[in-house]
Amino acid sequence: MVKDIVKYSGLFVLLILLQIFILNNIQLSGYINPYLYVLFILLLPYEIAGWALLIVGLLTGLTIDTFMNTYGMHSSATIFLAFLRPYMLRMLADREDVDKKGNPSLSGNGFVWFLKYVSILVFAHHLMLFFIEAFSFSTFFSTLWRTLLSSVTTTIFIFIAMLLFDKKQ
Amino acid sequence: MNSLIRFIVRYQFFLLFLVLETFSFWLLSTHSYYQSTKLEDATRTLTGFASTRISNATKYLKLAETNEHLAQSNLELRNQLAALNTRYDLLRNKLGDTLVEPNYSYTLAKVVNNSINKQYNYLTLNVGKDHGVKKEMGVVSSQGVIGIVAGVSSNYSTVISLLNVDLKISAKLKRTNHFGSLYWDGKNYREVLLTDVPQHVAVSIGDTVVTSGYSAIFPADINLGTISSVEGKGSNFHNLKVKLFADFKQLSSVWVVSPKLESEREDLENTTTLR
Repeated sequence: MVKDIVKYSGLFVLLILLQIFILNNIQLSGYINPYLYVLFILLLPYEIAGWALLIVGLLTGLTIDTFMNTYGMHSSATIFLAFLRPYMLRMLADREDVDKKGNPSLSGNGFVWFLKYVSILVFAHHLMLFFIEAFSFSTFFSTLWRTLLSSVTTTIFIFIAMLLFDKKQ
Repeated sequence: MNSLIRFIVRYQFFLLFLVLETFSFWLLSTHSYYQSTKLEDATRTLTGFASTRISNATKYLKLAETNEHLAQSNLELRNQLAALNTRYDLLRNKLGDTLVEPNYSYTLAKVVNNSINKQYNYLTLNVGKDHGVKKEMGVVSSQGVIGIVAGVSSNYSTVISLLNVDLKISAKLKRTNHFGSLYWDGKNYREVLLTDVPQHVAVSIGDTVVTSGYSAIFPADINLGTISSVEGKGSNFHNLKVKLFADFKQLSSVWVVSPKLESEREDLENTTTLR
Protein backbone atom coordinates (compact mmCIF):
# COMPACT_ATOMS: atom_id res chain seq x y z
CA MET A 1 0.00 0.00 0.00
CA VAL A 2 2.72 2.44 1.08
CA LYS A 3 4.83 1.19 -1.77
CA ASP A 4 1.98 1.88 -4.16
CA ILE A 5 1.53 5.42 -2.85
CA VAL A 6 5.24 6.15 -3.30
CA LYS A 7 5.19 4.58 -6.75
CA TYR A 8 2.17 6.59 -7.90
CA SER A 9 3.50 9.81 -6.36
CA GLY A 10 6.71 9.34 -8.33
CA LEU A 11 4.74 8.64 -11.48
CA PHE A 12 2.58 11.70 -10.86
CA VAL A 13 5.56 14.03 -10.45
CA LEU A 14 7.32 12.49 -13.44
CA LEU A 15 4.32 12.80 -15.75
CA ILE A 16 3.52 16.35 -14.65
CA LEU A 17 7.13 17.46 -15.14
CA LEU A 18 7.27 15.73 -18.50
CA GLN A 19 4.05 17.40 -19.57
CA ILE A 20 4.94 20.89 -18.42
CA PHE A 21 8.59 21.13 -19.30
CA ILE A 22 8.80 19.05 -22.44
CA LEU A 23 5.49 18.23 -24.10
CA ASN A 24 3.93 21.66 -23.64
CA ASN A 25 6.90 23.18 -25.42
CA ILE A 26 6.63 20.91 -28.41
CA GLN A 27 4.67 22.49 -31.19
CA LEU A 28 3.42 19.87 -33.61
CA SER A 29 1.92 21.85 -36.51
CA GLY A 30 -0.20 23.92 -34.14
CA TYR A 31 -3.08 21.53 -34.37
CA ILE A 32 -1.63 18.76 -32.28
CA ASN A 33 -1.10 18.98 -28.53
CA PRO A 34 -0.23 15.66 -26.86
CA TYR A 35 -1.34 15.43 -23.25
CA LEU A 36 0.58 12.53 -21.82
CA TYR A 37 -0.33 13.34 -18.22
CA VAL A 38 -3.70 11.55 -18.61
CA LEU A 39 -1.69 8.33 -18.45
CA PHE A 40 -1.60 8.79 -14.68
CA ILE A 41 -5.38 8.37 -14.40
CA LEU A 42 -5.30 5.45 -16.84
CA LEU A 43 -2.67 3.59 -14.81
CA LEU A 44 -4.37 3.89 -11.40
CA PRO A 45 -5.11 0.52 -9.77
CA TYR A 46 -8.32 -1.36 -10.55
CA GLU A 47 -9.52 -1.39 -6.95
CA ILE A 48 -9.31 2.39 -6.39
CA ALA A 49 -12.52 3.78 -4.92
CA GLY A 50 -14.74 5.91 -7.12
CA TRP A 51 -14.43 9.04 -5.00
CA ALA A 52 -10.65 8.67 -4.82
CA LEU A 53 -10.50 8.29 -8.59
CA LEU A 54 -12.46 11.50 -9.12
CA ILE A 55 -10.43 13.43 -6.52
CA VAL A 56 -7.18 12.27 -8.08
CA GLY A 57 -8.57 13.33 -11.46
CA LEU A 58 -9.37 16.77 -10.09
CA LEU A 59 -5.92 17.13 -8.49
CA THR A 60 -4.12 16.06 -11.65
CA GLY A 61 -6.10 18.44 -13.83
CA LEU A 62 -5.74 21.23 -11.33
CA THR A 63 -1.97 20.79 -11.19
CA ILE A 64 -1.70 21.05 -14.96
CA ASP A 65 -4.10 24.00 -14.96
CA THR A 66 -2.00 25.79 -12.38
CA PHE A 67 1.10 25.50 -14.50
CA MET A 68 -0.67 26.32 -17.76
CA ASN A 69 -2.86 29.10 -16.35
CA THR A 70 -6.01 27.47 -17.70
CA TYR A 71 -8.03 27.16 -14.49
CA GLY A 72 -10.80 24.61 -14.84
CA MET A 73 -10.05 23.51 -18.38
CA HIS A 74 -7.85 20.49 -17.75
CA SER A 75 -9.59 19.77 -14.44
CA SER A 76 -13.00 19.31 -16.00
CA ALA A 77 -11.60 17.14 -18.79
CA THR A 78 -9.60 15.00 -16.39
CA ILE A 79 -12.53 14.58 -14.00
CA PHE A 80 -14.58 13.50 -16.99
CA LEU A 81 -11.89 10.97 -17.87
CA ALA A 82 -11.83 9.66 -14.30
CA PHE A 83 -15.62 9.40 -14.37
CA LEU A 84 -15.59 7.35 -17.57
CA ARG A 85 -12.79 5.02 -16.52
CA PRO A 86 -14.83 2.54 -14.40
CA TYR A 87 -17.49 2.20 -17.15
CA MET A 88 -14.75 1.70 -19.72
CA LEU A 89 -13.09 -0.97 -17.57
CA ARG A 90 -16.39 -2.80 -17.09
CA MET A 91 -17.13 -2.62 -20.81
CA LEU A 92 -13.74 -4.06 -21.73
CA ALA A 93 -13.58 -6.62 -18.91
CA ASP A 94 -13.62 -10.30 -19.77
CA ARG A 95 -16.01 -12.42 -17.71
CA GLU A 96 -13.07 -14.19 -16.03
CA ASP A 97 -10.89 -11.31 -14.89
CA VAL A 98 -13.43 -9.11 -13.12
CA ASP A 99 -11.39 -9.09 -9.94
CA LYS A 100 -8.04 -8.49 -11.47
CA LYS A 101 -5.19 -7.31 -9.29
CA GLY A 102 -2.85 -4.43 -10.05
CA ASN A 103 -3.47 -1.83 -12.70
CA PRO A 104 -4.22 -1.67 -16.43
CA SER A 105 -1.03 -2.00 -18.45
CA LEU A 106 0.20 -2.85 -21.91
CA SER A 107 2.04 -5.97 -20.77
CA GLY A 108 -0.72 -7.16 -18.45
CA ASN A 109 -3.73 -6.72 -20.74
CA GLY A 110 -2.33 -7.11 -24.20
CA PHE A 111 -1.91 -4.71 -27.08
CA VAL A 112 -5.49 -4.67 -28.46
CA TRP A 113 -7.17 -4.32 -25.07
CA PHE A 114 -4.79 -1.56 -24.02
CA LEU A 115 -5.15 0.22 -27.36
CA LYS A 116 -8.94 0.25 -27.03
CA TYR A 117 -8.75 1.33 -23.39
CA VAL A 118 -6.26 4.14 -24.01
CA SER A 119 -7.56 5.46 -27.32
CA ILE A 120 -11.23 5.72 -26.32
CA LEU A 121 -10.55 7.36 -22.96
CA VAL A 122 -7.94 9.71 -24.39
CA PHE A 123 -10.35 10.66 -27.15
CA ALA A 124 -13.07 11.39 -24.57
CA HIS A 125 -10.67 13.48 -22.51
CA HIS A 126 -9.41 15.45 -25.50
CA LEU A 127 -12.92 15.97 -26.85
CA MET A 128 -13.95 17.53 -23.55
CA LEU A 129 -10.74 19.53 -23.30
CA PHE A 130 -10.76 21.01 -26.79
CA PHE A 131 -14.44 21.85 -26.76
CA ILE A 132 -14.06 23.62 -23.42
CA GLU A 133 -11.07 25.42 -24.87
CA ALA A 134 -13.01 26.51 -27.95
CA PHE A 135 -16.19 26.89 -25.90
CA SER A 136 -18.40 27.01 -28.94
CA PHE A 137 -19.80 24.63 -31.53
CA SER A 138 -19.33 27.15 -34.34
CA THR A 139 -15.90 25.68 -35.09
CA PHE A 140 -17.17 22.14 -34.53
CA PHE A 141 -15.30 20.32 -37.29
CA SER A 142 -12.04 22.16 -36.75
CA THR A 143 -12.21 21.30 -33.04
CA LEU A 144 -13.13 17.70 -33.81
CA TRP A 145 -10.20 17.42 -36.19
CA ARG A 146 -7.85 18.79 -33.53
CA THR A 147 -9.29 16.31 -31.04
CA LEU A 148 -8.72 13.38 -33.40
CA LEU A 149 -5.15 14.31 -34.31
CA SER A 150 -4.16 15.06 -30.73
CA SER A 151 -5.78 11.86 -29.44
CA VAL A 152 -3.78 9.80 -31.92
CA THR A 153 -0.59 11.62 -30.92
CA THR A 154 -1.24 11.23 -27.21
CA THR A 155 -2.02 7.53 -27.68
CA ILE A 156 1.24 7.06 -29.57
CA PHE A 157 3.14 8.89 -26.81
CA ILE A 158 1.47 6.70 -24.19
CA PHE A 159 2.46 3.53 -26.03
CA ILE A 160 6.05 4.75 -26.35
CA ALA A 161 6.10 5.51 -22.62
CA MET A 162 4.67 2.11 -21.79
CA LEU A 163 7.18 0.31 -24.00
CA LEU A 164 10.06 2.26 -22.44
CA PHE A 165 9.13 2.10 -18.74
CA ASP A 166 6.74 -0.81 -18.29
CA LYS A 167 9.20 -3.63 -18.97
CA LYS A 168 9.37 -4.93 -15.44
CA GLN A 169 5.64 -5.47 -14.92
CA MET B 1 -29.93 -5.52 -1.53
CA ASN B 2 -26.52 -5.93 -3.04
CA SER B 3 -27.65 -4.27 -6.24
CA LEU B 4 -29.25 -1.49 -4.24
CA ILE B 5 -25.96 -0.75 -2.48
CA ARG B 6 -24.17 -0.90 -5.80
CA PHE B 7 -26.72 1.49 -7.21
CA ILE B 8 -26.16 3.92 -4.33
CA VAL B 9 -22.41 3.65 -4.79
CA ARG B 10 -22.78 4.37 -8.49
CA TYR B 11 -25.10 7.21 -7.73
CA GLN B 12 -22.65 8.74 -5.27
CA PHE B 13 -19.91 8.42 -7.84
CA PHE B 14 -22.01 10.30 -10.37
CA LEU B 15 -22.95 12.90 -7.75
CA LEU B 16 -19.32 13.49 -6.86
CA PHE B 17 -18.52 13.73 -10.56
CA LEU B 18 -21.15 16.43 -10.98
CA VAL B 19 -19.89 18.34 -7.94
CA LEU B 20 -16.30 18.27 -9.15
CA GLU B 21 -17.26 19.23 -12.70
CA THR B 22 -19.29 22.10 -11.35
CA PHE B 23 -16.30 23.17 -9.33
CA SER B 24 -13.99 23.13 -12.31
CA PHE B 25 -16.51 25.00 -14.45
CA TRP B 26 -16.74 27.55 -11.68
CA LEU B 27 -12.95 27.84 -11.80
CA LEU B 28 -13.17 28.21 -15.56
CA SER B 29 -15.78 30.93 -15.40
CA THR B 30 -14.01 32.94 -12.72
CA HIS B 31 -10.49 32.66 -14.04
CA SER B 32 -10.60 32.73 -17.78
CA TYR B 33 -11.98 35.78 -19.47
CA TYR B 34 -12.86 34.15 -22.79
CA GLN B 35 -14.90 31.30 -21.34
CA SER B 36 -16.60 33.52 -18.76
CA THR B 37 -17.81 35.98 -21.40
CA LYS B 38 -19.03 33.09 -23.49
CA LEU B 39 -20.90 31.70 -20.49
CA GLU B 40 -22.41 35.09 -19.74
CA ASP B 41 -23.50 35.39 -23.36
CA ALA B 42 -25.15 32.00 -23.21
CA THR B 43 -27.01 32.74 -19.99
CA ARG B 44 -28.02 36.17 -21.26
CA THR B 45 -29.40 34.65 -24.44
CA LEU B 46 -31.29 32.10 -22.41
CA THR B 47 -32.75 34.55 -19.91
CA GLY B 48 -33.44 37.05 -22.67
CA PHE B 49 -35.38 34.46 -24.62
CA ALA B 50 -37.34 33.43 -21.54
CA SER B 51 -38.18 36.96 -20.45
CA THR B 52 -39.27 37.91 -23.98
CA ARG B 53 -41.72 35.03 -23.95
CA ILE B 54 -42.96 35.95 -20.50
CA SER B 55 -43.43 39.60 -21.37
CA ASN B 56 -45.22 38.64 -24.59
CA ALA B 57 -47.68 36.66 -22.52
CA THR B 58 -48.18 39.26 -19.81
CA LYS B 59 -48.59 42.09 -22.31
CA TYR B 60 -52.15 40.99 -22.98
CA LEU B 61 -53.04 41.14 -19.31
CA LYS B 62 -51.93 44.76 -19.14
CA LEU B 63 -53.79 45.99 -22.22
CA ALA B 64 -56.48 47.85 -20.28
CA GLU B 65 -53.89 49.64 -18.19
CA THR B 66 -51.86 50.46 -21.27
CA ASN B 67 -54.90 51.85 -23.04
CA GLU B 68 -55.67 54.12 -20.15
CA HIS B 69 -52.09 55.28 -20.05
CA LEU B 70 -52.12 56.01 -23.78
CA ALA B 71 -55.38 57.91 -23.54
CA GLN B 72 -53.92 60.00 -20.74
CA SER B 73 -50.80 60.83 -22.72
CA ASN B 74 -52.95 61.58 -25.80
CA LEU B 75 -54.84 64.11 -23.75
CA GLU B 76 -51.64 65.74 -22.58
CA LEU B 77 -50.27 65.88 -26.12
CA ARG B 78 -53.51 67.37 -27.41
CA ASN B 79 -53.31 70.10 -24.81
CA GLN B 80 -49.72 70.80 -25.77
CA LEU B 81 -50.66 70.84 -29.44
CA ALA B 82 -53.38 73.40 -28.82
CA ALA B 83 -51.01 75.60 -26.84
CA LEU B 84 -48.34 75.33 -29.49
CA ASN B 85 -50.81 76.06 -32.28
CA THR B 86 -51.74 79.28 -30.58
CA ARG B 87 -48.12 80.27 -30.26
CA TYR B 88 -47.46 79.23 -33.84
CA ASP B 89 -50.24 81.43 -35.13
CA LEU B 90 -48.95 84.30 -33.03
CA LEU B 91 -45.43 83.96 -34.37
CA ARG B 92 -46.63 83.50 -37.91
CA ASN B 93 -48.55 86.76 -37.73
CA LYS B 94 -45.51 88.53 -36.35
CA LEU B 95 -43.35 87.19 -39.16
CA GLY B 96 -45.87 88.29 -41.72
CA ASP B 97 -47.21 84.90 -42.77
CA THR B 98 -43.87 83.77 -44.08
CA LEU B 99 -43.81 80.47 -42.20
CA VAL B 100 -46.41 79.08 -44.54
CA GLU B 101 -44.15 79.72 -47.49
CA PRO B 102 -43.15 76.14 -48.29
CA ASN B 103 -39.96 77.01 -50.14
CA TYR B 104 -38.12 78.01 -47.00
CA SER B 105 -37.31 76.32 -43.73
CA TYR B 106 -36.12 77.96 -40.54
CA THR B 107 -33.41 77.23 -38.02
CA LEU B 108 -33.65 78.78 -34.59
CA ALA B 109 -30.48 80.52 -33.45
CA LYS B 110 -29.25 82.62 -30.58
CA VAL B 111 -27.25 85.78 -31.12
CA VAL B 112 -24.05 85.36 -29.17
CA ASN B 113 -22.26 88.46 -30.39
CA ASN B 114 -23.60 91.66 -31.88
CA SER B 115 -22.50 95.19 -32.65
CA ILE B 116 -24.32 98.27 -33.86
CA ASN B 117 -21.85 101.09 -33.44
CA LYS B 118 -19.53 100.49 -36.38
CA GLN B 119 -19.89 101.07 -40.09
CA TYR B 120 -19.50 97.36 -40.78
CA ASN B 121 -21.47 95.55 -38.14
CA TYR B 122 -21.51 91.79 -37.77
CA LEU B 123 -23.42 89.32 -35.61
CA THR B 124 -22.40 85.88 -34.43
CA LEU B 125 -24.96 83.08 -34.13
CA ASN B 126 -24.66 79.81 -32.22
CA VAL B 127 -25.54 77.68 -35.23
CA GLY B 128 -23.24 76.54 -37.98
CA LYS B 129 -22.55 73.95 -40.64
CA ASP B 130 -23.67 71.16 -38.32
CA HIS B 131 -27.11 72.73 -38.13
CA GLY B 132 -27.41 73.13 -41.87
CA VAL B 133 -26.45 76.78 -42.02
CA LYS B 134 -24.64 77.87 -45.18
CA LYS B 135 -23.16 81.07 -46.54
CA GLU B 136 -25.62 83.59 -47.95
CA MET B 137 -28.61 82.41 -46.02
CA GLY B 138 -30.90 85.09 -44.67
CA VAL B 139 -31.37 85.80 -40.98
CA VAL B 140 -34.63 87.19 -39.64
CA SER B 141 -36.10 87.84 -36.23
CA SER B 142 -39.72 88.08 -35.30
CA GLN B 143 -39.48 91.80 -35.99
CA GLY B 144 -37.84 91.71 -39.39
CA VAL B 145 -34.73 91.16 -41.44
CA ILE B 146 -31.46 90.97 -39.49
CA GLY B 147 -28.82 90.16 -42.08
CA ILE B 148 -27.15 87.60 -44.30
CA VAL B 149 -24.81 84.80 -43.24
CA ALA B 150 -21.27 85.68 -44.29
CA GLY B 151 -19.28 82.79 -42.94
CA VAL B 152 -19.90 79.49 -41.15
CA SER B 153 -17.84 77.22 -38.97
CA SER B 154 -19.16 73.92 -37.69
CA ASN B 155 -21.03 75.42 -34.73
CA TYR B 156 -21.05 79.17 -35.31
CA SER B 157 -21.81 81.56 -38.11
CA THR B 158 -21.12 85.24 -38.66
CA VAL B 159 -23.81 87.41 -40.13
CA ILE B 160 -23.45 90.69 -42.02
CA SER B 161 -25.87 92.83 -40.12
CA LEU B 162 -28.39 94.96 -41.92
CA LEU B 163 -26.49 97.70 -40.12
CA ASN B 164 -23.50 97.26 -42.42
CA VAL B 165 -22.93 99.82 -45.15
CA ASP B 166 -21.94 97.05 -47.56
CA LEU B 167 -25.25 95.22 -47.41
CA LYS B 168 -28.02 95.99 -49.81
CA ILE B 169 -31.25 94.04 -49.88
CA SER B 170 -34.23 94.18 -52.17
CA ALA B 171 -37.32 95.68 -50.51
CA LYS B 172 -40.72 96.87 -51.60
CA LEU B 173 -43.55 99.04 -50.39
CA LYS B 174 -46.20 96.73 -49.08
CA ARG B 175 -49.07 98.96 -50.22
CA THR B 176 -48.01 99.65 -53.82
CA ASN B 177 -45.60 96.76 -54.48
CA HIS B 178 -42.94 99.09 -55.89
CA PHE B 179 -39.51 97.81 -55.09
CA GLY B 180 -36.21 99.45 -54.38
CA SER B 181 -32.99 98.67 -52.62
CA LEU B 182 -32.52 99.07 -48.93
CA TYR B 183 -29.24 99.86 -47.21
CA TRP B 184 -27.83 101.50 -44.13
CA ASP B 185 -26.03 104.81 -44.35
CA GLY B 186 -24.05 104.17 -41.19
CA LYS B 187 -25.61 106.92 -39.13
CA ASN B 188 -28.64 105.97 -37.03
CA TYR B 189 -29.05 102.35 -36.00
CA ARG B 190 -32.83 102.69 -36.07
CA GLU B 191 -33.01 104.02 -39.62
CA VAL B 192 -32.09 102.71 -43.06
CA LEU B 193 -32.52 104.15 -46.54
CA LEU B 194 -34.72 102.92 -49.34
CA THR B 195 -33.74 104.08 -52.82
CA ASP B 196 -34.74 103.43 -56.43
CA VAL B 197 -38.43 103.96 -55.80
CA PRO B 198 -39.58 106.11 -58.70
CA GLN B 199 -40.86 109.61 -58.09
CA HIS B 200 -44.33 108.95 -59.47
CA VAL B 201 -45.15 106.53 -56.69
CA ALA B 202 -47.17 108.18 -54.00
CA VAL B 203 -45.32 107.34 -50.81
CA SER B 204 -46.66 108.47 -47.52
CA ILE B 205 -45.07 108.43 -44.09
CA GLY B 206 -46.02 105.32 -42.17
CA ASP B 207 -46.11 103.00 -45.19
CA THR B 208 -44.78 99.55 -44.43
CA VAL B 209 -41.65 98.31 -46.18
CA VAL B 210 -41.22 94.55 -46.64
CA THR B 211 -38.81 92.26 -48.43
CA SER B 212 -39.47 91.83 -52.12
CA GLY B 213 -38.70 88.15 -52.47
CA TYR B 214 -36.77 88.93 -55.64
CA SER B 215 -33.65 87.33 -54.28
CA ALA B 216 -33.58 83.76 -53.10
CA ILE B 217 -32.16 84.82 -49.75
CA PHE B 218 -35.31 86.13 -48.09
CA PRO B 219 -38.91 85.09 -48.56
CA ALA B 220 -41.24 87.83 -49.70
CA ASP B 221 -43.17 90.02 -47.27
CA ILE B 222 -40.92 89.95 -44.26
CA ASN B 223 -41.42 93.14 -42.30
CA LEU B 224 -38.62 95.68 -42.39
CA GLY B 225 -39.96 98.97 -41.11
CA THR B 226 -42.09 101.99 -41.84
CA ILE B 227 -41.37 105.09 -43.91
CA SER B 228 -40.30 107.88 -41.59
CA SER B 229 -39.43 110.61 -44.07
CA VAL B 230 -39.83 111.22 -47.80
CA GLU B 231 -37.16 113.32 -49.53
CA GLY B 232 -35.49 113.71 -52.89
CA LYS B 233 -37.80 116.08 -54.65
CA GLY B 234 -36.49 117.06 -58.08
CA SER B 235 -34.73 113.78 -58.80
CA ASN B 236 -36.07 110.67 -60.50
CA PHE B 237 -36.25 108.63 -57.34
CA HIS B 238 -37.53 109.08 -53.86
CA ASN B 239 -35.04 109.27 -51.05
CA LEU B 240 -36.88 107.42 -48.34
CA LYS B 241 -35.91 106.87 -44.76
CA VAL B 242 -37.21 103.69 -43.16
CA LYS B 243 -37.59 103.24 -39.42
CA LEU B 244 -36.75 99.65 -38.64
CA PHE B 245 -39.08 97.42 -36.69
CA ALA B 246 -36.18 95.45 -35.34
CA ASP B 247 -34.25 96.88 -32.46
CA PHE B 248 -30.73 95.68 -33.12
CA LYS B 249 -29.71 96.45 -29.59
CA GLN B 250 -32.05 93.81 -28.20
CA LEU B 251 -31.53 90.84 -30.47
CA SER B 252 -31.48 87.40 -28.89
CA SER B 253 -33.49 84.82 -30.81
CA VAL B 254 -33.35 84.84 -34.59
CA TRP B 255 -34.12 82.40 -37.39
CA VAL B 256 -31.83 81.41 -40.19
CA VAL B 257 -33.76 81.05 -43.44
CA SER B 258 -32.85 78.08 -45.61
CA PRO B 259 -34.24 78.31 -49.12
CA LYS B 260 -35.22 74.82 -50.18
CA LEU B 261 -35.17 75.37 -53.92
CA GLU B 262 -32.27 77.81 -53.91
CA SER B 263 -30.06 76.01 -56.37
CA GLU B 264 -32.86 75.42 -58.84
CA ARG B 265 -33.78 79.10 -58.79
CA GLU B 266 -30.20 80.25 -59.07
CA ASP B 267 -29.46 77.92 -61.95
CA LEU B 268 -32.49 79.11 -63.82
CA GLU B 269 -31.66 82.77 -63.22
CA ASN B 270 -28.03 82.33 -64.21
CA THR B 271 -28.87 80.66 -67.48
CA THR B 272 -31.48 83.18 -68.56
CA THR B 273 -30.02 86.49 -67.38
CA LEU B 274 -28.30 88.53 -70.09
CA ARG B 275 -25.53 90.61 -68.73
